[in-house]
Amino acid sequence: MPSSTSSSERTGRHGGPGGAPDRYARQTAADRPGIAQPVPVRPVPEQPWGRVLAGAMLLAALLLGGWELYWRNYGVHPSIANTDGLWAIQRWRLDSGQGDATVLLGSSRMYFDLQLPVWERLDGRRPIQLSFEGTSPLAALEDLADDPRFTGRVLVGVAPDLFFSGFGLHKGAPRYAKKESPSQRIGQWLSMRFIEPYLAFDDPDFALQAVLARQPWPQRPGNRWFLRVRKLSETEADRNTHLWSKVGDDPQYRDLARRIWRQDFEPSPDDPTPEEMLKTEKEQIERAVEALARLRARGVKVLFVRLPSTGEYLAYENREFPRERSWNALLAATGAPGIYFEDYPQLRPDLQGYDLPEWSHMAHDSGERFTAALYGIIERDFWGPGATGAAAAKPLAAVPVVAAAH
Amino acid sequence: MVFNSLTFVVFFACVLLMHSLPLGWTTRKINLLLASYLFYSAWNPPFVILLWISTVVDWYAAQGLVKALRPAARHAWMLLSVLANLGMLGYFKYGQFLLDSFTAVMSTIGVAWHPARSDIVLPVGISFYTFATMSYTLDVYLRRALPARNMLDYALFVTFFPHLVAGPIMRPTELVPQFETPRRATGEQLRFGLALMSIGLFNKIVLADSFLSHVAERVYDSDKTPGALDAWAATLAFSGQIFCDFAGYSTTAIGAALCLGFAMPDNFRFPYAAVGFTDFWRRWHITLSSWLRDYLYIPLGGNRHGPRRTYAALMTTMLLGGLWHGANWTFVAWGGLHGLYLAAERAVRARFAGYQPGPFIFLALGLLTYMLVNVTWVFFRAKTFGKAGVALRGMFGLNGAAGPILPTFDLLVVAGIVSAMVLIHWLMRARTLEAVIARAPAVLVSGVWALLLFAIIIVQGVGSAFIYFQF
Repeated sequence: MPSSTSSSERTGRHGGPGGAPDRYARQTAADRPGIAQPVPVRPVPEQPWGRVLAGAMLLAALLLGGWELYWRNYGVHPSIANTDGLWAIQRWRLDSGQGDATVLLGSSRMYFDLQLPVWERLDGRRPIQLSFEGTSPLAALEDLADDPRFTGRVLVGVAPDLFFSGFGLHKGAPRYAKKESPSQRIGQWLSMRFIEPYLAFDDPDFALQAVLARQPWPQRPGNRWFLRVRKLSETEADRNTHLWSKVGDDPQYRDLARRIWRQDFEPSPDDPTPEEMLKTEKEQIERAVEALARLRARGVKVLFVRLPSTGEYLAYENREFPRERSWNALLAATGAPGIYFEDYPQLRPDLQGYDLPEWSHMAHDSGERFTAALYGIIERDFWGPGATGAAAAKPLAAVPVVAAAH
Repeated sequence: MVFNSLTFVVFFACVLLMHSLPLGWTTRKINLLLASYLFYSAWNPPFVILLWISTVVDWYAAQGLVKALRPAARHAWMLLSVLANLGMLGYFKYGQFLLDSFTAVMSTIGVAWHPARSDIVLPVGISFYTFATMSYTLDVYLRRALPARNMLDYALFVTFFPHLVAGPIMRPTELVPQFETPRRATGEQLRFGLALMSIGLFNKIVLADSFLSHVAERVYDSDKTPGALDAWAATLAFSGQIFCDFAGYSTTAIGAALCLGFAMPDNFRFPYAAVGFTDFWRRWHITLSSWLRDYLYIPLGGNRHGPRRTYAALMTTMLLGGLWHGANWTFVAWGGLHGLYLAAERAVRARFAGYQPGPFIFLALGLLTYMLVNVTWVFFRAKTFGKAGVALRGMFGLNGAAGPILPTFDLLVVAGIVSAMVLIHWLMRARTLEAVIARAPAVLVSGVWALLLFAIIIVQGVGSAFIYFQF
């Protein structure tokens, strides 16, 4: 890792080559105290630089081509990078004439499961997707509450382990959107037009250091090391996102994804105590109450939705965040309406055959059917003309059950 | 904009194109000046005004210095320049720090005072360009140099984008003469400049950001108490991170300037092969250490007024040098520790004058220097003295039965990168990069360059800021 270097020591007593003098050796300011420093010397080493550069470019291109091919063979397609900059582009739409839009806020379930084209087909307007994986939507909800230009509707996804813990991989996104520099903005624009649509390997999951770090290195005794969540989704320029097909199609990858979730289901010494958890849950509910009060004051409709999970993930959520203590408490405190997937047969994976390969997110086609079903309920019971705004759950028997082939 | 960004790639390509057009030299200099303002305003456009203030004040101060006949008038012009620059630096960089320190002092004497936080945003690179512009007036004041002949050359010296935000800290006599005659890079300079930029970006994006930074974060930004292995691994990782980050920036800057046909001075000289702290500061951030020497240590008396004044000047210089790095007492402690090391070395050298160590002792002294430098990095990296204390206790095995924090992979990364880095510094301590490249077969140079480019791209750096931008 050499740097911009030179040396005034031609042949050191120790550590120097001791051979032929270095004809590129030069003094630095360190060698010239108390004088005006002269124009620096910057010699170019002798090499056939034209051929060297051409060779380097050719070899780098071959290496990159091989790397790209490897990941394409793994099943990766180019998709838009899910960055704070991409989020900011959607956020700014609310400040530039689309303040009355429908906004989707939530964590990865809201992000991967709800399909914007389906919603647009039914509603006539495409919603703005501001969900972020691994992130409680509260920071974004507070950001909307602080913005008087937003007067639309918000669908807030509640993933219990994120919403009630306040956890946020991307909770800095609202701040980023406010502080993004012109340089970052241009970089985002360039990247999503000239890099991301063409390169499959351009995903944090396939970065060299991530690939190396997840190899089966021996573990230090007493050090519990978590596997990081792998690539789960593919994103488009307006943040319409769906579950990556490999998660459903490749049994090994699906099992890996489940194994990664299981790490969270097991108790860890770093877990908060039950008292700490309760305190945090209350704090999150209080944050929601305050944000909703500000939103409602200017007529914004807010609807909570608990999106489906299945299998061991659902069991974990029911155990750690029982509905009575979390979801019911949230609705009671905020006074906002909500849709809990288990209350609606149209939304239940067990009845509709929605495919959740790793228990937490829906396969692409299931997401499309689910979006249509959810939209129908929202329009009928909450936001459509004639909706009461706080409809009770429909009895199971009143709704036709679609037996899916999944 | 940062060098490690797509925006810069496009910007730099445009600048190279504009600079190669068959235009007059003045026009090309104006292009470079405008490009440099664009480069700076890509962070936060209003802060360009500060750059203009610094430029204009020092231009007129230097003109005033030349025309002034009385010593008092010369002093006044010099003071105007110093106060304007330090005033800006003080307000933007140290305002909140001074307020916090005053509040803490009041609190210790029982006065509860809670001033509102000022929420001042630190303009990127302000410490660098204020030092560069001050050196202009100070060189004129000290009669070391004449003022620039025209304001365009001077403004371009202040603003030239390769060195603007994180150095190397240029002196006017190093750069202004290069603007006086038309310059365009030769093909060889352009290609070697691109090679230097690749080396610099590899240091920054691959080594510092992708492999080393999170190791330091996992220990220094965690609530867990580190044992000896974790504390040392994190500190060594930071020693590698800060070198690769900052030397990487300097190398990229030098390469970018060379692509345009300009020479910038060396800023690092394999510092982790230093034997002793005098040697370390002749190899680490050379343009800052020589700036502090020329404009602070020597005017304070240097070594011309006996041992007591010498030690006082040394400590003052290093404490202020520490404070230059950041508005936090931990940086002052970092500088103070280096001052103590330098003072101790001076005393030992005086006691053992004429002693020449053998090769093993020489190597041992070098490794001791590196270890002691690592102790200072604890104060540089830790956000509070409490955190620094925890890390130091860990490094000296005083944290008892602390559990492991870092995974095996992180330990392997640190062991591999840091030992390779130190070894390379030792192998290169009396060589130049240019000599090594000149001796290598062209195929090898091509291959290594290709690997650097490949690594830079596949680690997918996210354009994180260089550490020294905050200074």
